[in-house]
Amino acid sequence: MFSNQRTQLSNYANQQVKALKHLHNDFPKRTIYPRSRLFSSAIYDIEGHKIFSILKNPNISFEKEIYRVGEYIHFVKSLDDYYLGAKYLFIEIPEDLTWYYNTISNIITFGALIFIMLAMFGFFFVKILLRPMNESVQLLDNFIKDTTHELNTPISAILANVEMMDMESMSERNKRRLNRINVAAKTVSHLYHDLTYLTLSHNRESKDEWIDLKQLIYDRVEYFAILAGAKKVTFELDLKESAIFIDSVKIARVLDNLISNAIKYNKRNGTIYIVLRKTYFRVQDTGIGIKSEKVQEIFERYTRFNTSEGGFGIGLNIVKGIIDEYNLQINVESKLDVGTTIQVNFLQGTLDD
Amino acid sequence: MIKILFLLFSFTIAIFSKTETVYERNCVPCHRYQPASLEKMFMTYLKTYSGELSVKTTLKEFLKNPTEKDSLMSEIFLDRFSVKDKTTLSDKELDEALERYWELYNVKSKLK
Repeated sequence: MFSNQRTQLSNYANQQVKALKHLHNDFPKRTIYPRSRLFSSAIYDIEGHKIFSILKNPNISFEKEIYRVGEYIHFVKSLDDYYLGAKYLFIEIPEDLTWYYNTISNIITFGALIFIMLAMFGFFFVKILLRPMNESVQLLDNFIKDTTHELNTPISAILANVEMMDMESMSERNKRRLNRINVAAKTVSHLYHDLTYLTLSHNRESKDEWIDLKQLIYDRVEYFAILAGAKKVTFELDLKESAIFIDSVKIARVLDNLISNAIKYNKRNGTIYIVLRKTYFRVQDTGIGIKSEKVQEIFERYTRFNTSEGGFGIGLNIVKGIIDEYNLQINVESKLDVGTTIQVNFLQGTLDD
Repeated sequence: MIKILFLLFSFTIAIFSKTETVYERNCVPCHRYQPASLEKMFMTYLKTYSGELSVKTTLKEFLKNPTEKDSLMSEIFLDRFSVKDKTTLSDKELDEALERYWELYNVKSKLK
């Protein structure tokens, strides 16, 4: 460690011994202790008592020949002739920390290089590993994007024509058939709206406004009444006046998906309870429910817990996206074979605000 | 009058003789006539024995039992002056003399 300095310090010590010898011989005519610009020194007697010292760091050790003390290096030479009574000569030089800074610099440089290389390797490996998954997600997204555009016109035509048909003059059998067409078209229409929202919503700017939630819930319940009726699911509404400042399309997507899921995963002859208060609304079904440990997974895209029902598993993912966008809070409680309750909390507001 | 002067002289002598130390009374007078001064001898002892305790102890032993073997003086010096006689001073007086000797010539207080 001190191999570079040892020779230099030894030379300084020899130089100082010569100077001490001359001083000893001339003493007391000359009494000035020999000094050097290159080093500091001190002399101690055989009993370890200081005779004279100009060391900058006076913490000396008799145990080692060379050692570091603070920012200095001390070298100890034991004298054979005790000039001026000196048995021990200490030579002190400031420590040259160039090697230390070089080492630190090397560690940082090579460490950074290794880190960058590992990060690059890691990045490429992860990319390679994730490629099949990304490709399948991309494939599904592209499929949805491509088919969405082709759905709108025929569905709108079906729904408009169903609305216009004269039910009074129809036989019961045809009425039931028409109802089934209506249910099927509305199911596809709901899916179409979700897909449109998912693929095109990023290009659309939000237009936030005060929404009368009570009215909106009535409208959406009416819209889904035929779907619910097909499964003999009834609605029980407990709605108080409430309003929320939000984009109308987005809050409609939230409600549609919650109601649609409540119908889809309800049992036949089940009930959907919708409660609206100043700071929350809640949709509760009496359906199949899900295991409590799976509750957090329901918001992940393409997650479906029951494949017997239609859909892509994107509805609740859309809901979560909107909830997060507006800093709302959503709570899900579910019990297998009992049902699911989803509550959305929001800041209190009124239409007069 | 002569009586008074004599008394004063005796009194002065008495006072001055009391202020002289053991070292000055017993060491200086003999060494005054030798070529190696007491200071030179001190430096020789210092160069050989280094510390205060070592110097004093060695010197004390030598003064109590001086031999050619233990002397630090050169052969020429010893041939001419031979080894000194054993001291007649007590241990206490020797310690006092050596203390004074150290005080006078130690380098610690003189180095600058």
